[in-house]
Amino acid sequence: MSPKLQKKFEEIVERFVELKDTSELMMDLAYSSLLLNSKELAEDVQELEEHVDKLHTDFELLVLSSGFKREEAKSFLGLIRLGVVTEKIADAAAEIAEVVLRGIKPHPVLKLAIEEAEETVTYVQVTENSMFVDKTLREVHIPEETGMWVLAIRRRGKYIRPKPHTKIESGDVLIASGYAEGEEDLKKLASP
Amino acid sequence: MPHLEKIEYKPISVRELFLEIKNLSELMIDLAYSAALFNDKELAEDVLELENRVDTLTYLLEMEIMIAARDPDDAEALVGVSKVASAADKISDAAADIAAIVTQNIGVHPIVSEVFEKVEERLTRAKVNESSILVDKQIGELDLAARMGVDIIAICRNKDWIINPKDIEPIKIEDVLIARGAPSGVKEFKALVEGKLRKLED
Repeated sequence: MSPKLQKKFEEIVERFVELKDTSELMMDLAYSSLLLNSKELAEDVQELEEHVDKLHTDFELLVLSSGFKREEAKSFLGLIRLGVVTEKIADAAAEIAEVVLRGIKPHPVLKLAIEEAEETVTYVQVTENSMFVDKTLREVHIPEETGMWVLAIRRRGKYIRPKPHTKIESGDVLIASGYAEGEEDLKKLASP
Repeated sequence: MPHLEKIEYKPISVRELFLEIKNLSELMIDLAYSAALFNDKELAEDVLELENRVDTLTYLLEMEIMIAARDPDDAEALVGVSKVASAADKISDAAADIAAIVTQNIGVHPIVSEVFEKVEERLTRAKVNESSILVDKQIGELDLAARMGVDIIAICRNKDWIINPKDIEPIKIEDVLIARGAPSGVKEFKALVEGKLRKLED
């Protein structure tokens, strides 16, 4: 395969992974919005849905313009279909968020089930004496230490989408996703 | 045409039903991506079977919700459960669509899998090397979720898939494991399985 085509493939896959990650982040955020009955997080999900639409179009254009040969058409169709699926997942996440935006107070059963699920979303408050205070997310290695990753930070009534260089402040509420087993570790580090 | 199970009312709590629908739909997504990217038909067929199961569970859940709603307040509270469950059902449908790419022999370009393995951080597939310290250990005793935020979602042994293996399932040489979780943990896990890392850290 020519280096040019190889590069094209890498770009296609990178775009696909971005689509996949965004649709999965949306699912996590949608369940978080239910758990916290948070319209703000639910609105984030709706905005991401529009973003996914755009990513999806770019992805399709990239695949279609890759200059594949006739005998490769099938496997490129497979790629297109994968893209369609990520969009479907994003739509489903937006539907979950819609429940919150419609002002339907999430039933306690939903909250219980989200907390009990294998992959859970949880929230912890960062106390003054936590090692997280005044450190960036990159510095505190939350995924390595707890197996959970931070989806959003609630600070003074606002939600922040975390970046590696985001500094954690005392009083922040971290909304995180991962396996229930990591929850306790995260709590211990955030509010010792 | 897959065989459709006859739906009969069973008294299962809304919580239990919703929990299983949510867990299965998320598991199916990861299994389906693995099936598509590694072009694995058996695994894809298992995903289609799980899709059937989620459909049945969604019917049962709707029945429970209908029985539970006695007045307008109940109805308002429960319609959200029904909506969320139907969204989870759609997620499982999406997983089935991915699986169909494999079962209908469409497939994904092989180079895609190669690149995908390099860039995907939350999902991995690894073959158990004879030198791995995981050999003959039960999944439960490894405490992977607590240690590194990783979960083994499927094992391929002698060409058969064990989906969502139980805690007592032992890991054998030559098993192909599919795991998902936190990116750093997933990397560590792959190294353990392939025998490149010989210590399980706390």
